[in-house]
Amino acid sequence: MTLTYVLMQNLRRNTLRVVLTAVAFALPMAVFVAAISFVVALAQISADMEKELRLGVHHKTTLTNPLPAGMRSKIEALDPDRRRIAAVCGMRWFGGRVPDTQNTLTSIAGDPDTFPLVYSDVGMTAQDIEAWQRDRRACVVGRNPVDTYGWKQGDRVTLVSTVPPYLQLEFNIVKIVENRERANFFWFRRDYLVESMKDAGVDDARCNIFWIKCKSAEGLRTLQQDIDALFANSPDETKSEDENAFVANFTQAMGNIPGLMQTMAMVVVVIVALVAGNAMMMSFRERTRELAVFKAIGFQSGRVFLIVLSESIMLAMGGALLGVVPAAVLLWLLPIRLTGIGPMIALEVTRLGVIGSMAIALCVGVVAGLWPAFQAMRLQTTDALRKVA
Amino acid sequence: MALPLTYHWRNLFVRKTTTVLTVLVITSVVSVFAYMLGFSESLQHSLSVARDPHKLIVLKSGATAESNSAIPVDEYNKLSQVTNVARDEATGQVLVSPEMMVQVSLPRLRDGGRTNANVAVRGVTLDAFRIHPNIRPLGRIFSTAEREVIVGLAAAQQFAGLQIGDTINLGYGADRAYKVVGHFSADGGPMESEIWGYLPSLMNSYNRTMYSSANLRLADGSDARQIIGQIEGPAIQLAAQTEEEYWESQSRLMKVYLFVAYLLVAIMSLAAVFAIANTMFSVVAGRSRELAMLRTIGFSSAQILLGLVIEAVMLALVGGMLGCVACWAWLQAVGNTKDMFGATTFTTMAFKIQMTPLLIAKALGLVVVVGVIGALVPALRAARMQVVTALREP
Amino acid sequence: MSTVDIELRKVRKVYFKDRLEIPVLEGLDLTIAAGEFVVLMGPSGSGKSTLLHLIGGLDSATGGSVRVGDAHLEKMSERERTAWRSRHVGFIFQMYHLVPVLTAAQNVELPLLLFSMSSSQRKERVRTALEVVGLSDRADHRPNQLSGGQEQRVAIARAIVTDPDVILADEPTGDLDAKTSEEILELLNLLNSEFGKTILMVTHDPRAASHGQRTVHLDKGVLDREELNPARPRGAAAMVS
Repeated sequence: MTLTYVLMQNLRRNTLRVVLTAVAFALPMAVFVAAISFVVALAQISADMEKELRLGVHHKTTLTNPLPAGMRSKIEALDPDRRRIAAVCGMRWFGGRVPDTQNTLTSIAGDPDTFPLVYSDVGMTAQDIEAWQRDRRACVVGRNPVDTYGWKQGDRVTLVSTVPPYLQLEFNIVKIVENRERANFFWFRRDYLVESMKDAGVDDARCNIFWIKCKSAEGLRTLQQDIDALFANSPDETKSEDENAFVANFTQAMGNIPGLMQTMAMVVVVIVALVAGNAMMMSFRERTRELAVFKAIGFQSGRVFLIVLSESIMLAMGGALLGVVPAAVLLWLLPIRLTGIGPMIALEVTRLGVIGSMAIALCVGVVAGLWPAFQAMRLQTTDALRKVA
Repeated sequence: MALPLTYHWRNLFVRKTTTVLTVLVITSVVSVFAYMLGFSESLQHSLSVARDPHKLIVLKSGATAESNSAIPVDEYNKLSQVTNVARDEATGQVLVSPEMMVQVSLPRLRDGGRTNANVAVRGVTLDAFRIHPNIRPLGRIFSTAEREVIVGLAAAQQFAGLQIGDTINLGYGADRAYKVVGHFSADGGPMESEIWGYLPSLMNSYNRTMYSSANLRLADGSDARQIIGQIEGPAIQLAAQTEEEYWESQSRLMKVYLFVAYLLVAIMSLAAVFAIANTMFSVVAGRSRELAMLRTIGFSSAQILLGLVIEAVMLALVGGMLGCVACWAWLQAVGNTKDMFGATTFTTMAFKIQMTPLLIAKALGLVVVVGVIGALVPALRAARMQVVTALREP
Repeated sequence: MSTVDIELRKVRKVYFKDRLEIPVLEGLDLTIAAGEFVVLMGPSGSGKSTLLHLIGGLDSATGGSVRVGDAHLEKMSERERTAWRSRHVGFIFQMYHLVPVLTAAQNVELPLLLFSMSSSQRKERVRTALEVVGLSDRADHRPNQLSGGQEQRVAIARAIVTDPDVILADEPTGDLDAKTSEEILELLNLLNSEFGKTILMVTHDPRAASHGQRTVHLDKGVLDREELNPARPRGAAAMVS
């Protein structure tokens, strides 16, 4: 027998309470792990996007006001020796959906020559790029439509646009993108779109946005000012923003799910701390005399403190495991996909989320056990024993 | 005679720490619940306004929303053939409102303009006010001769630069200054998040030749399906849906959001049930002798059961009320405005989360349920307790 | 044989309750010889338990000196007293105070966790202690599977497993019937006579008192009177001192 064994046995003392506490702890922790995974994933995406150094240039009034395609060369001319700009990709919103379905994919046409450069994070291999450049109907697709419609590389797929002139186009999948933040994306070649529109009698090669891959963060900042200054007081006045700022507008408009998740996570921490604290207080109150006996037979105060604290930590960690593991498994089996416009990601559990949850549980266990443990340490043995009968 | 309520009330103070901690658990859960409920209610309220069964929205077929629909004028003109719809009493013509929708990017007031929202700008004719009877201008409306707009109340409250007397730059190049001359209410419906101006003026400013949508009203006693059939038929070939159907599909995204939020709240409420059960078990254990004494002096086990449930409900109600206060305080501190995109549009719908009496009643209803469920098992155990054994307990 | 005697000189103990001084012991002198079995009697509130707690180092005196063997408790910190207690004193309580979730053997083993001792050494000690109290066959039972008398025997085994010099018993038979009480007292006698433990026992029960060699009566914080028990002469070790 060891002290650890004694601790474990203590948890069996009031099985009912331990179970109730563990469940009351586990349920919010299940929410927490999902929420924190989401928040962490978004933070990672945000950091990744920052590293990608992409600057978006769109019409000042709104994204839906298209800009002339010729702007690309004007932007490129700002930096003729390419010190700041790596590549510029003009993009046009297609808003396509699979015929007879509801879900609009984030489907966008991009300049065929620069798309692989500007979106280097998509991870196209030399082979992928070759296929993309060879095939006019090439498309690069995220995980969501691939999983939803059972597509695979090499498939020929059809999308119907939800914006005028509502074209129905066929594409060949040359690459499936695994990036989580690009799960709902569907990219294809803008030259294909422009020609198809021309065939339909619409001569419109304009772009909704130009994404510029920059060479440095500093270059991005100066370009942002230079570009907006260049087009100021023209009919096509622009607003340039980095990718994070661009996405933030959408995040707000999608109901601010990250904000909701953050709030949920905070509330959950409060709840579990209260639940654990309550359980530990009850447990301590019931065992005051027994802890006094521990002291009477020679356990030092510090040791008694640790006994109570460890019990709290074990309870918290146990409860957390009970919540985190099923949540992780469940969301892995049935991920809740949050689709929409912009880089929405699925609600799923990540390793960092699990580690974060366990760390929080540890902290909660310590905080919840601190006061009872302190009381146990200061326990006046004689008083506690006097309460006998 | 049942036990007096003061008995239960005072008992809550006997185990102060446990009571306080449990109450705070409930408080946390209810505050989140009240917030989500407020969110969902305002959304539902807004959408319920946009549920006029006598209004049809006509779009170009293939379009999913007004913002991505484009109806050429010649196709629009065919709508005059439609029968069984409301007509202008004076001219006998079909009453139809051609409308154009564009967006303007405006700073959100709630985050100090850090992010922008895409606010809908709707070009309308004066007929629009007959087609959309719930639009009530507060003050005067735009003149057809000047560059003037009126602004929905929700938009005016949530986005910058939309007060009466402000000017807002609209038009394709954002170079036409329009003056805000009035506000309007739409009974809290989605149109309250819009900016309205005179259609020909706005079409000119945006270099547009096509309408986005056309709105019609059904004649009394006519059948929406029949009219939709006419519009979608070979003669006209446009797409039509009732206002309710339109908003049903636009709010899909919001429903996913609410589903996720409610799922999380449900899980937390369940946790609250366990927290209460835990506390009540401890109450029963700590008071077993007292409860046995009550039995010996003649209280029935049903009364004991009821008493403990009442105690738990009191506990939960205190937490529930604090939760509502916390939610209210949060809304005061952070702001109660919210806006969201439709499922397929780039336009935002603004609304306010309100702590209505009904919402508070619903939140408290939830805590009563949580309290009762949480207390039931411990209370049953107490009621079944063997009196003699309990009295003998140390 | 224990060589530890106990000497209390002018011991004062005052409690404070709401800033009110409540004197419990007022200048008490008491000497207990090594290997002696002393019974402490007196009405409620006379300071019996307090005296026991002072000797066990659970509490510190307000004034005076408490010496147990070489240990001058009044000069020791709480930490030192705790460490000393784990080796030199065994406590027995009226309500046994066993840990309900542990078996009899594990309860007995508990104090040994404070010693650097191998698991097999501990097992051996536990086995011996349980043998002394006659509960070898109940080693794997939990407290709720034992009778009151058996529980108290486990508590006694727990008190002696560290081989302390002094055993302090606070109403050890207060919750037991007459026959079981007699068995427990016989066991204490055995620990005194065979193992030479110095024993101080608080009791209300005159019959229990008759097992001691000397009975000390406490009243209102001072020694009232004491009497020797002719039926139980002092052990050899005590004679020497």
